[in-house]
Amino acid sequence: MITLALGLVPGASASEIADTFQMHGFMSQALIVSDHNDFFGPSSEEGGSLEYTELGLNVSTRPSQNMLLAAQVLARKAGQGSSITDPELDYGVLDYQLLADGNRTMGIQTGRFKNPFGFYNLTRDIPSTRPGVLLPQSIYFDRTRSVGLSSDGLLLYEEERLSSGTLRFQAGVGKPRLNSDAEYTLMTAGKQPSLDGRTSWIGQVRYEHAGGRFIAALSAAWVNADLDTRMAGSGDFSFQPWILSLQYNREHWSLTAEYARRRLELDHFDRDGMNSNVTGESWYLQYTYRFLDNWQWLLRYDALISNRDDPSGRTYEAAGLGPAHSRFARDITTGLRWRISSGWLLEAEWHHVDGTGWLPLRDNLERDDTDRYWNMLLLQTSFLF
Amino acid sequence: MFRRLIALMVLMIVMLPPGVAAEPSALVIITHPGVELDSLNRETARAIFAMRQRTLPNGQSAHVFVLPDSNAIHERFAKEVLNVYPHQLRLAWDRAVFSGTGQAPNEVANESAMVDRVAATPGGIGYVDRSALNDRVRVVGVE
Repeated sequence: MITLALGLVPGASASEIADTFQMHGFMSQALIVSDHNDFFGPSSEEGGSLEYTELGLNVSTRPSQNMLLAAQVLARKAGQGSSITDPELDYGVLDYQLLADGNRTMGIQTGRFKNPFGFYNLTRDIPSTRPGVLLPQSIYFDRTRSVGLSSDGLLLYEEERLSSGTLRFQAGVGKPRLNSDAEYTLMTAGKQPSLDGRTSWIGQVRYEHAGGRFIAALSAAWVNADLDTRMAGSGDFSFQPWILSLQYNREHWSLTAEYARRRLELDHFDRDGMNSNVTGESWYLQYTYRFLDNWQWLLRYDALISNRDDPSGRTYEAAGLGPAHSRFARDITTGLRWRISSGWLLEAEWHHVDGTGWLPLRDNLERDDTDRYWNMLLLQTSFLF
Repeated sequence: MFRRLIALMVLMIVMLPPGVAAEPSALVIITHPGVELDSLNRETARAIFAMRQRTLPNGQSAHVFVLPDSNAIHERFAKEVLNVYPHQLRLAWDRAVFSGTGQAPNEVANESAMVDRVAATPGGIGYVDRSALNDRVRVVGVE
């Protein structure tokens, strides 16, 4: 890929490529223990689960002054349905800055790019950029992480420097990568359907006031796919989430809130029962306090409603589709992080959850056997270079 | 719950600090002598040191040098010159490196290594206390 781009770029020099070459990576391992319900492996069994491992390696170089080539390979085990021996290309981009002067930067990314969605999607798998071991699951679902994770296409960005702060626009178009996690969630009658991404759109506007004291962002996406089921024929899958993100930063603490609405539309299926239009809602409020230089304390309240028309899930249960508590989740989280050295982190985090709205389905095959109230402790160590 | 979020937003805006005017600092941005640049505005300096802008305003490829996070000069540079907290810079670098949107800066151990590396690297940019300056590097003012 690098030699290919080299041939395309006049002015690229071999010495620049070598001088600016960088390689970085990270690895993490967690122990997860829960009293009821399984999260990322058999966490409720004796001894807990060690099935949460992440490994990533990336390389980048700047062949000419306005170009960046970057790619990352990611291997991830996170409970049932994932394997550490099945690495994937997380991103692979050619980034070209068309304009960079004192007032603005403008550029374009082509290839496989990470979707700029909310505060955390870009680097959702990198422990040091997350506020805790797990991101707020109501917005950054791990059970359907592939939806909205990255796209194969084109992303335009523009950064405008104002006297009070920075305004950043990003707009992308491409084919979303949809993996089996999303297909599994859409399973009907025990049969896993297939999802094929079609042209989809993503955009974000972000304002950073006074060097990031205050950050506000609005992200929106329109993810389209063909959904092929054995039982109800094939039809259109359309997912339209938007997120409002706010953050206030001080030297020793940060307050973060995000609110999301997600509309999932299934249409044009032969069997009418398959066609649906459901809007879910999520929000969280998070406080992080940095003390003693290398320690951080996290406190978060995170709430999810799968269907705004049925927030308690009672209608869902009455229709015989599953337990009411699988349609919402309210999670109180507190955690501690210790930065042992510049790249080495040790984290501990406790969740008290009411509801199973974001519980990974593949780890809990018998949905009627899940408990409404559950607790989970996560210990994670990670290393980044 | 949307109402609660709006209330929070209003609260956050009310708590916004007024435009922070950094105090005059004994720290200066330095560049390779071949970089024809007399001054940078603060937002551009921040974009370069946060690794969001890859070229200097004169069009040259930027090679950014920084001191370790725990270095007192680094902490002062971040706060007094760039007007950001060191933890925000660290997060910006990790996000750039692991999302394919940028690279990490080159870390040097101390101020004398900073001067040496910046002086030896075309497009080099870094920072030192005035006391560590010498004529092998160029000083760039921040507006």
